[in-house]
Amino acid sequence: MFPRIIPLRVNDMKKIPMDKIEPGMKLAKPIMSKSGMVLLSEGTELTEKWIERIQDMDVDGIFIDAPAEQTLSKEDALAQLDSRFKLLLNEPRMADIKSILRKHIEGLYG
Amino acid sequence: MDRTLIPISRSKIEKINALPTVPGSFKSISSFIQKPSVSLDKISQFISKDPALTTKILKMVNSAAYGFPGRISSISHAVMLLGLNVVKGLLLGVSVFEIMEKMMSGLWVHSVACAIAAREIACKLNIRNPEEISVAALLHDIGKVIMILEYQKEYEETIKEASTAECLIYDAEKAFFTETHTTVGMWLAGKWNFPRNLVEVISCHHTPHLSILAVKETAIVHLADILVRARGIGFAGDHFVPLLNTSAFETLGLSNNDIRDVLVRVEETKQVSDDMAS
Repeated sequence: MFPRIIPLRVNDMKKIPMDKIEPGMKLAKPIMSKSGMVLLSEGTELTEKWIERIQDMDVDGIFIDAPAEQTLSKEDALAQLDSRFKLLLNEPRMADIKSILRKHIEGLYG
Repeated sequence: MDRTLIPISRSKIEKINALPTVPGSFKSISSFIQKPSVSLDKISQFISKDPALTTKILKMVNSAAYGFPGRISSISHAVMLLGLNVVKGLLLGVSVFEIMEKMMSGLWVHSVACAIAAREIACKLNIRNPEEISVAALLHDIGKVIMILEYQKEYEETIKEASTAECLIYDAEKAFFTETHTTVGMWLAGKWNFPRNLVEVISCHHTPHLSILAVKETAIVHLADILVRARGIGFAGDHFVPLLNTSAFETLGLSNNDIRDVLVRVEETKQVSDDMAS
């Protein structure tokens, strides 16, 4: 009944607080009212006028197109990965999964 | 380790509405959904009466964990699209959010990430009702919530034990209690009148080889849980990845590329959980 596949987005949106909004930013997610109605749809490029309106509304932040920030350094992220797998050192299937994760995590850092 | 196991009885857990530690708002939801007479109409009315609950559920159904391409803007629409059991599960899922955040920080994020991962796996496999699997994943650790509410001190010790002994929380639970979170969760899900396949996913997510009615669904949630822990998102009670059950994994027949796609999707967890908290 519904298309099940939604395009994958890696690393390409972040939430920013109201006082950091600038004209030209593009909405990565729609802005919705408390009742769930869409006020501005995904992909809208923000103008001065829109920003004024948004600031009058009761929203705490918006999602814009931008690289998501990783809170850990890459080295720490990989060290923690090793530590999470340390009970499973002799499991070939888990080693495969770990190497997929390793590549995935490295990819998050570009 | 030599200690007397703390007994957990089914009859006590099933009387969840009488447990003094369970917050009142959760009790009212719990007693509402366990009625066999709950209909689509009644659940719609029940949720719509509560604006905060309405907002949370709409945010959840419009998030990556469900991901309908068109916006779902009303509860009655959500109920029609998702069906009674999914909405019941969502109602419980979003209502334990605050308890999880307060009692076991990170368990909510873990649960949301599992819901996202499970849905993505279900979509890869072209399963007819990915929403049902997603909601099963959202609730798979519900037993932990009740254990930590009812046995707070002991459960905190169990978490500490998992950390010092470097073992899984599931194994640490066995050293402290007569039952684990999977059994507690199974009792609750049964009490709440969830369908038997959902009950089985909860009871067998660490032992997928024991699943009879919901082999595929259980394998999906088992794998979702492992991938989410492996990625290090949220906190389920320990810092380690459980061993993947090979035959459950093979039942699914996923490629390495499929797993990569699931991990990419799981990166959306933070946005979904931040969004829910706001």
